[in-house]
Amino acid sequence: MIKHHPSDETLLRYASGTLEAGPRVVVAIHVGDCTACAARVADFEALGGAFLDDLPAEKLGDGAFDALMSRIDADAASRAIPAQPRRLSRAEVGIRLPEALDDCEVGPWRWIGPGVRRSRVTLADDPKANVMLLKVAAGRRLPEHTHSGFEYTQVLKGSFRDARGHYEPGDMDEADSEVDHQPVVDETGECICIAAVEGGIRLRGFFGRMFQPLFSA
Amino acid sequence: MTMRKQETSLSAEEGARLMAAVAGERNRSAFAKLFDYYAPRLKSFMMRSGMTSPVAEDLAQETMLLVWKKASYFDPLRAGVSTWIFTIARNVRIDRLRREGRPSAADSLDPSDEPEEPASAEASIMAAERDERVRAAIAMLPGEQAEILRMAYFGDKAQSEIARDLGIPLGTVKSRTRLALNRLRAILDDLV
Repeated sequence: MIKHHPSDETLLRYASGTLEAGPRVVVAIHVGDCTACAARVADFEALGGAFLDDLPAEKLGDGAFDALMSRIDADAASRAIPAQPRRLSRAEVGIRLPEALDDCEVGPWRWIGPGVRRSRVTLADDPKANVMLLKVAAGRRLPEHTHSGFEYTQVLKGSFRDARGHYEPGDMDEADSEVDHQPVVDETGECICIAAVEGGIRLRGFFGRMFQPLFSA
Repeated sequence: MTMRKQETSLSAEEGARLMAAVAGERNRSAFAKLFDYYAPRLKSFMMRSGMTSPVAEDLAQETMLLVWKKASYFDPLRAGVSTWIFTIARNVRIDRLRREGRPSAADSLDPSDEPEEPASAEASIMAAERDERVRAAIAMLPGEQAEILRMAYFGDKAQSEIARDLGIPLGTVKSRTRLALNRLRAILDDLV
C-alpha cells in the first residue's frame, strides 16, 4: 500500500512536460507503480488535451500540409535505418531496476560515508541531471539536511522513517527546501532509493556536502 | 499547392474515426482533416511555450508527422484524440528544449515511445469518461483559476508572463496554481 505520493503540482508538471529530466524519471518510477497517481496523471493529460482544443488556431505558412506530406513520402521512400543499439554501461546494483531507467547508465556503488553508498544514474535525454541511487545500511541515520530545491526520493527497497512518516517501497518522499529531515533506515535491512534534486548546480546542504565532489568528479 | 482551411471544431467521435482511417488505410484526406484542426492549435501551443513562430510551426509539423507515423498506437479506449496528440506535442517540446540546451545530444531516443499496454475493460470505461469529467471540472473552475492552470502547461516562461500581466510575483502565481489544483481535485473527486 503506497502511502506517500508526489503532490498534485508535481504530477501536473510531470503530465504537462514541465518537470526537469531528473525528477521526471523519479516521478515516472512512482507513477509506474501507483495506480492512483497514474489516474491523476491521465486526468492532467486529458486537461492538456482540453486546453489544446481551446487554443486559438495560429495561422500556418502556405503549403504547410503539402510540405509535411512530401516529408512523409520521402520518409517512406528512404528505408528506415535501424537505430544503433545503445551501449549502456550498467553496474550490478543488486536490485531489479524500474523500466523507467532502461535508457539510463548506472554507475557502480561508491562509498560516500559510513554505511552510505551511491551510484550515479546518467539519463540518456539529460546527462547533466542529478539522479542517483542511494544505498543506506540498516539502522543508519543520514545526516540532517536541508536543500535548496525540491528533492524527490522514491523507495525501491527497504524502508526509512523521518519526522514526517514511514517510507516503504513505492513511496515517494517529496521534500522542499523548508523540510529539515533526518531519515533513519529501519533495522530490518538496507534501503535503496532513487533520488533527484531540481536544479542542475544548486547543490548545497546535504547533497552539496555529500555529493558535490562526486558529481563534479 | 493546396489552400488549407482551418477547422474550427472536431468532435471526439469524428477525431477517433479519422484516426482509425489514418491508422488502417493511411487515408490522406482523413489526415488532412486532422491536420487542419490540430496543426494550427499545436503551433499556438508551442508559441505559448515561448517558441518563435517558425520554430513553433516546425514543432507543430514534427508533432503531426508523429501522429501519422504512430497512428496505429492510438487507442480510443485509452485516451481521446486531443489528449493523445497533446502528449505527443508535450514530448516533442521536451525534446526540443533538451536539444537547445545541448546541441550534441544523442537523438536516438524517441520521446513519444511510451510503453503501450493493452487497455483493460475497466480502463476503457474510465478513458471514455475521463475527458468529459475533466472538461466539466475545468468549466466549473472560476475563470482566473482555469487560466492559471492553463498557463502551467506552457512552462515557466508563460508563468512569468502571467505574473507580469497580473502584476503579482511569480511565487504568487505558484501558490495560486496550488489553490486552483486543490479546487480542481475537489471538483474531480465529486464528479467520480
